[in-house]
This record gives sequence, structure tokens and C-alpha cells, in this order.
Amino acid sequence: MLEKGIESAVAAYHLDFLARSTCMSNFVSQRTPRQVMQDTIFALLTRELKVRFGSKKLGYFWALAEPILQSSIIAIIFTLLGRSSLSGVPVALFILMGILPFRGFTKASIQLATAIKANKALFAYRQVSPIDPFITRLLIESATYLVVYSLLMVALFWIGFQIIPEKPLELILINLFMLSMASGYGLLLSNLVLFYDDTPRIISLIQQPLFFISGIFFVITMIPAQYWHYLTWNPLLHFTELSRDAMFSSYKTPVGDWLYLLTITIFLWGSGLSFYWINRHRFLAS
Amino acid sequence: MIHFRNVSKFYPTRNARAYIFKDINFKLPMTRSIGVLGPNGAGKSTLVRMIGGADTPSRGNIDSDLRISWPLGLQGGLQGSMSGRENVRFVARINGIRNTSSIECEVAKFADIGRYYDEPIRTYSSGMKSRVAFGLSLAFDFDVLLIDEVTSVGDATFRKKSQQALRRIRETTHVIMVSHEMRQLQEFCEAGIVIKDKTFVFHNCIQSAIQDYQETYVKL
Repeated sequence: MLEKGIESAVAAYHLDFLARSTCMSNFVSQRTPRQVMQDTIFALLTRELKVRFGSKKLGYFWALAEPILQSSIIAIIFTLLGRSSLSGVPVALFILMGILPFRGFTKASIQLATAIKANKALFAYRQVSPIDPFITRLLIESATYLVVYSLLMVALFWIGFQIIPEKPLELILINLFMLSMASGYGLLLSNLVLFYDDTPRIISLIQQPLFFISGIFFVITMIPAQYWHYLTWNPLLHFTELSRDAMFSSYKTPVGDWLYLLTITIFLWGSGLSFYWINRHRFLAS
Repeated sequence: MIHFRNVSKFYPTRNARAYIFKDINFKLPMTRSIGVLGPNGAGKSTLVRMIGGADTPSRGNIDSDLRISWPLGLQGGLQGSMSGRENVRFVARINGIRNTSSIECEVAKFADIGRYYDEPIRTYSSGMKSRVAFGLSLAFDFDVLLIDEVTSVGDATFRKKSQQALRRIRETTHVIMVSHEMRQLQEFCEAGIVIKDKTFVFHNCIQSAIQDYQETYVKL
């Protein structure tokens, strides 16, 4: 009985203290760590969107136009070579299903790798911790990717392509998988960016040849089975294979491996987070 | 009160760790304004940055239940690609203010830099930067204001204005100030810290801190 009374008195005092401390401060109110993080990410989000899309008038336009142009150019080449369909699917659509996850991965990982370094000046404020700009860019990249993806699908449907995915849930899952692997990879790379300024340049150099071996304008069944092992180590190939498998009823991938993707994603996130934790002081220091 | 618990700060060099601070255990009373004294490279800015949370100790921790500003310095804090107004908006938002227009006006009035307020910070002179930075920190009601030689770059008007502002908030806000100008420290600080031997010595009176500093470091 007595204990209860004391408890409630303490609680009341605590509440009173909280109320007073929030009233007394005009501006800098007491917030929970989660609220601080939310406010910070909101501030970073509005800032980043303005820098990204506000300065270039055609920013949003290029996000849509680039994959369309890329896949139409390849489609035109294929048509000139005399092929209008690959495994019973129109060439343009077939290539688009490979280009979208590939570009999504490479773009997101580079953006995420440079997120922390690009916002270094803002760590002077104690509210901003290095992971905040990373989360901000992750949100922006994911949202842009999903919007571009669905807009393209709707547009293609509108001009008459048959694009009802055969396995819609698997298609969603493979794209979410792609985004989470890209972010783990980006987190790992941001540690490299911390030490070598040239990292983004080297990464994009390495990613260039991947364009040709990630199954963007071929599927694995076009290649003799004894050579598959030269290509299947590449997780990006699994993304293109699985996303075509989920999209088209006429294509069944013999190599697409969910477990392999899961293993690599866990590995990338694990090592990315570990290195982030080791270097957390270095991210702050200017 | 700012509580230093086992605080060490070092930077890795080629041969060994270069310690700037080693095992500081101290409760810094914040009932008065404090001036920080030490020669170049002693760690004055590092100390202020660590108190402000812009840098972390290599070991140990610093905590306080006071509302402490970010270190108001020549370079840090404002981002070059954003305009003065956007910087103000950003800082207001990370402090949990959703409606930022009143704070934008307040800082504009103090900074008094006209149309430059909407130009990117990188086009500013250092005096203009410190006008915005200083006005911004005054817009929040901090208990402790960290000032790293920011008032020394402005012109006569700005100096006067900032000194008036510091005098006005004196009742509620104390400063921790880094400066090489003794007269400025004497004017604004009552107590002092002298950095020596990888730790700091607290003096209850700024005059004795200045004396200690001059005896230790100023040899001609």
C-alpha cells in the first residue's frame, strides 16, 4: 500500500518535471532519441530532394527516360538483327525486366556509398549521426525505384503490352531483395569511401563490364550449360533471371537461386554494419 | 554541469597515438561563463567540439543534462551548397521545429546580409558566415553556447551586435569561449580553463587563468 503510494508520487513528480522542462524551453524541447532521429531524417529528406531534383529541372524526367532509352536502343539493335522476341516475349519488355533491377542496384549502391561523406559538414550538429544520411538516401532511392518501376509498367500496359506478372508476389519480393542487397553493399562501400576518395569512380569502372554478364540482353538458357558457372557467381544475374521468371509465364530460370541472394545479402549487411561500427568515430571526424 | 568521465582523445600517427587529452575526470560547473586558453594545437577546438557532440572522445564519455549548442566556429556547421535560409531551416528542423518561418526571419534580421541570405553559403565571406551562424545559435535558447573564435572575424557593427547579444542572454546562457584575445575573454568570461599536460586546469577566476596561461606558454 505504502509502496504503491510512493510509486505514484514519484511518477507524478516525474511527469511534472517532464511537463515543466518542455514548457520552459521555447524551442529546444526534450525529445526521445527516436523523435530526434525522425526529425533529422525529415530535415535531411527535404534537403536532399531539393538538391537532387530541384537544381536540375529535368531530374525526374531522366529517372524515367534513362531506362526507357537504354532498353529501346538494345531492342532496336535486336530488331535489326532480325529478332523481335526472346522466349516468346517482345524484346523491349524482355530487356526492360533485366535493365530495371540492374540499374536500380548499381545506382542505389553508389548513392548510398557516398551518402555519409557528402553530408559530413552536418555532423557538427549532435542530432545528426552518420547513419541518418544513409537512411535518408535509402528511402529516396527505394521510393524513386518503385515509382519508376510502376510508372513504366503502367505506361507499357497502356500502350498495349501484356504485362500482367505471372507471379506478382515473387516480382515484388525480388525487387525488395535487390534494394536490401544494394543497401548492404552501399553501407560496406561507404567505409571504403571514407578512406579512398576515388572509390565511387573505381566502383563504376567495375560495374561497367557487369552490364554485359548480368543477363540483361540474354537469358542463361541461351548459353551452353557447361559454361554457366562462369556467370552464376554474379548475384546481379540472379536478379535478372528471377525477375523474368516471376514476370513471364514462358520463362523458367534454371539457375536463379534465392538462397544464394539471401546469403550474400546477410554477408554484405553483416560486414557493412561491423565496419560501420569500427569506423563510427572516423565518420564523425572532419 | 558537464561531466567528463575518463576522457581521452588521440589521433593515430605513423608511429604511435598522439594524445591530446589523457584520462580527464572532471565535473565542469556551468554556473558561469568559461574561457578556454591554450596555444595553437593544444586542443581547444577539439575540446569544444567534443563538448558540443561534433566529435567523440576516443575513450570515455562526456555527458550533461544541459542544452548545449553546436560549436560555433569559423568552418563547421553551415553547409556550402545550401543558402543561409536553407541552413537555418535545416537546423530548426533537426531541433524538432516544423514551422520554421519565424526562426528564418529572426536570423535574417540579426545577420542583416540582405539578398545574400538566399544565396549559397559558399559565396559568403567569412564575416557573413559568422553572422548567420551566430544569429542562428541565438535563435535557440541554449544553456551553454560554444563559441570558437567566431566573434573575432566580423566587422565593427557585427562585433558590437554580437557583444550586445551575449550581454543580453547572460542571465540564462553561459558561454564556453575559445579566443586568443584576452580582452574579449575578460569581458565575457568569469572562469577559465588552461589546457596543459594533456588535461585542463580549471580556474575559478579568468584573471588567474590568464596569468597561468602566460606563465606556462608565453615566453619571449
